[in-house]
Amino acid sequence: MTGQDTAIRPRASRAGTRTPAPRRADALRRGLARLGWGFSAPGLLVIAAVTVFPVVFSLVLSFSNVNVLGSGFQLDGFTLGNYTTIFTASIWQYALAFTVGYTVITVAVELVLGTLIALVLERLEIFRGWMMAILLIPWSLITVISATLWDYIYDPTNGIADAIFQALGLGSPVILGTPASAIVAMMVADVWKTTPFVAIIVLAGLVMLPRDVYEAAEMDGCTGWQTFWKITLPLLRPTIALAVLFRVLQAFGVFDLPFVLTQGGPQNATTSLAILGYQAMFSDLKFGAGAAVATTTAALVVVGCLLFLRVFKAQVTETEQ
Amino acid sequence: MRRRSTAARWGLAVSTALIAVFVLAPIYWMVATSFMTPAAVSASPPQLFPSPVSVENYLIAFVDHGFGRYILNSVVVSIAATVLVLVLGTLAGYALARLGMRGTFTIMVMLLVLSVFPLIALIAPLYLLMRSVGWLNSYQALIVPYTALNLPFGIWILRNYFLGVPQEVEENARLDGASAVRTLWSVVLPMALPGLFTAGIFAFTACWTEFLMALSFNSADQFRTIPVGIALFGNAHITPYGAIFAASAVAVVPIAILVLVFRRSVVSGLTSGAVKG
Repeated sequence: MTGQDTAIRPRASRAGTRTPAPRRADALRRGLARLGWGFSAPGLLVIAAVTVFPVVFSLVLSFSNVNVLGSGFQLDGFTLGNYTTIFTASIWQYALAFTVGYTVITVAVELVLGTLIALVLERLEIFRGWMMAILLIPWSLITVISATLWDYIYDPTNGIADAIFQALGLGSPVILGTPASAIVAMMVADVWKTTPFVAIIVLAGLVMLPRDVYEAAEMDGCTGWQTFWKITLPLLRPTIALAVLFRVLQAFGVFDLPFVLTQGGPQNATTSLAILGYQAMFSDLKFGAGAAVATTTAALVVVGCLLFLRVFKAQVTETEQ
Repeated sequence: MRRRSTAARWGLAVSTALIAVFVLAPIYWMVATSFMTPAAVSASPPQLFPSPVSVENYLIAFVDHGFGRYILNSVVVSIAATVLVLVLGTLAGYALARLGMRGTFTIMVMLLVLSVFPLIALIAPLYLLMRSVGWLNSYQALIVPYTALNLPFGIWILRNYFLGVPQEVEENARLDGASAVRTLWSVVLPMALPGLFTAGIFAFTACWTEFLMALSFNSADQFRTIPVGIALFGNAHITPYGAIFAASAVAVVPIAILVLVFRRSVVSGLTSGAVKG
């Protein structure tokens, strides 16, 4: 309620002193609120139509036998079958484990690398603006393009990765051909594209840190290492939490990269939950099962977010007290 | 202010150079490859410089494969959705910042929750819905969802900027007899211009890069956007990298310019706009 209170009360009281009768101020306020609903209605309705309605519909689909007909579809009765099918399918269990593992590893690597990059750039006295601009390029790149680019880099005959391996005397591995190396290759492509995003957020957080704390630390004779662990990192916690939240949400829905780079293979090794749901819907036309995959993924994301925010909020209030 | 040893300064310079190379090397290779002859693209070992420089890949992409059509589709969809986000987001953001409706806080939290919702959960119902109303393979099949999905963030950003406009300015306008719409248009909006840039560039980038919905709803050739066009380029056996990179280089240019020109807006959107929530 804080946003509302601070935004509304001062104005309302001031309006009260300027208008002769408090009743008029009241009428004005009610008129403005009505106008507010009129202003917000179009936007909120569009959002509701594209999100709230489909979420409900997705739940219905996931509990139904869905028959896709020539130009439409038919729902035949309630069933738990879609959920029992996916929960017992080894491919769903694998996709869940893969998506979680992929998210944890890539976000952890990106966080460490991104923080290192931010620490370097923070010390720059010249070129910082240029470096920021360079970092924004991968962020704004279409993921399909960067995936194709990495596909070419990993190409067994024309790829630069192959040339590097050969030059190092490591032979000529088919990078995207075996499960383990394909997973690593996909992670490398992800790290390249999204580490700059993490670096920018952390850098913005670093720049806003109070200078005087550092001067005090220097006077107390702290080493650079101590300063980083004892001062920088704790102060950066809200910034890092934000970057992690953004990245986890994105990584958990990973689709574009495996779709182009590996098509979920080899041997389903890079089948994420989003790839699995998409294949169920559009390759197998099993909309019920696809909706069940999608709904469980969404439920995991929402629960994960709420837990994260709760833990994070508790930590913030703790440090503020 | 801080004095550094020569070694530290060299370390800094080397690390900075390494970061720039790490980020730029793949981009360089993409652009370099796009200017190679098709024979050089599939040379083994790979060439590092295009010699001779050739625009044949560009001709293949744009003349033979009609890639211009995909760019046009992306431009139409992204601009339409961005304009809608800005118009609807300004109205809603201003109302939620200033007009004192009950339930403002609830709405803001709902918007935040909706903006983290995974896209895959919306695909099946939206696909079936669009199939029923005959919207598959049309511009509105992407414009409407893109508007809706980018509005929550747009409203958040714009509301934050509107909250930063001094109340007195608005009150004076109102006392002078300006209507709420007029106050918003000619007094508040000019002061919140950076917010419009930030919200606009985020919406545009998101539309320009979106793949899952574009692939699911608009896979017919004449309605493909750039990401779908590139992903479904060629056939299953041969990937025409040269032509793809030529098309990619052209697709990257407008967004790169936009991001570089508005990089302050982008950075502020990535950080302060989101943190304040």
